[in-house]
Amino acid sequence: MANDTFHCSIVTPERAVLETEAKMVSLPAHDGEMGILRGRAPLLCQLGIGTLRVESPEGTEVFFVDRGFAQMVENKLTVLTEQARRPSEINREEVQRSLEEAQAMDLKGSEQMWDDERLMAIHRARTQIKLKDKHG
Amino acid sequence: MANRRVLVKRRKAVKNIRKITRTMQLIATARFQATHNRATATKPYSDKLGELVADLSRAAGDTQHPLMQKPDADRSALIVVSSNRGLCGGYNANVLRRATAHIDGQPDGHKVDVHMIGKKGASFFRFLGREVTRQITDLADDPRFDQIEPIANELIQQFVDGEISSVNVAFMSFESAGRQFPSVVQLLPLQPLEDGGGEGGGKSVEYEFSPNPEELLGALLPASVRMRLFQCIMEAVVSEHVARMVAMKAATDAAGDMIKSITREYNRARQTHITMELLDIIGGVNALEG
Repeated sequence: MANDTFHCSIVTPERAVLETEAKMVSLPAHDGEMGILRGRAPLLCQLGIGTLRVESPEGTEVFFVDRGFAQMVENKLTVLTEQARRPSEINREEVQRSLEEAQAMDLKGSEQMWDDERLMAIHRARTQIKLKDKHG
Repeated sequence: MANRRVLVKRRKAVKNIRKITRTMQLIATARFQATHNRATATKPYSDKLGELVADLSRAAGDTQHPLMQKPDADRSALIVVSSNRGLCGGYNANVLRRATAHIDGQPDGHKVDVHMIGKKGASFFRFLGREVTRQITDLADDPRFDQIEPIANELIQQFVDGEISSVNVAFMSFESAGRQFPSVVQLLPLQPLEDGGGEGGGKSVEYEFSPNPEELLGALLPASVRMRLFQCIMEAVVSEHVARMVAMKAATDAAGDMIKSITREYNRARQTHITMELLDIIGGVNALEG
């Protein structure tokens, strides 16, 4: 195949984290994982908390993303997220601490909203720990 | 003559001050470069965000998002971005003047919650005896997005709950290295998107949306508000460094002038002293011969 790559960029408010040609990108969409290849129909989707995997000719890179948006138009994928971290940028102790904090959150007399926040914090921490342990 | 020693001392002091101000100028220049680069790096995100919002609102049609509607409240919020440190010329004074003008311009009975970023602004408001709802002084020279996010989220929540009718930011807006001006920008309610501009772009793509456009827009708009606030603060920080750079350059130049005039005065004093001694000697010789 002559050309099976598409352009992928990951942008956060602070900087452009990644600009590369990719063969396949797997996104943590809000309702489950989603894989993207060259030639995908235009897509605009919301992201959840999870792992983003970029497979480029040079190798595979993984990121932790904390919500955001992905747009795929004309073989250009743009991922907008407020947080994208490489495994090397994750501080395990810090994440562990926030996990414990989230687990210790007092739920007495709380409302549903509070509970969601807690679950989200736990999920966020666990995903990061898993990613860190797997990819260092 | 004691006068000469005083002059030497003063000259030394001014020289020391010049050294300090020159160093501060260099530091401010370096910081300015760094923060300016960071501020420019925020552009791709905000541009893309704007593009997505435009695409989505075209797809979602005439949506009325709560962030676009003005709640009926007699309170509003004003975020004032001042600096933590001084020695930056009229930077703080200008922003604070603009901010107080905004507060005083509100109709009677309307209360403005002031969220003050920076120590200088806080102490100025304390001096004026004005109320500050919240004081944020832990933003360093390079604010991070995750520091701004909670502030924005809290204000968005208050706005959606109908507690405040608008959110504004008073900050020093950065146009170029040669031009900054204090301004007040409305963060909330969001201004409706200008229709003309988006259509002119021409290409409207048939997207596959997940979830539906309304929900996506609902998640996107708060993100764009957070981004706007972050950009305002970044701009203010860049302006602060420019202001400090200019102020320190002026101080260094002024110190140079002062050194020159002190040196001149010192030389004159020395010459006077020599002349007087000569006169003494000549007078003595004349007296002996006479």
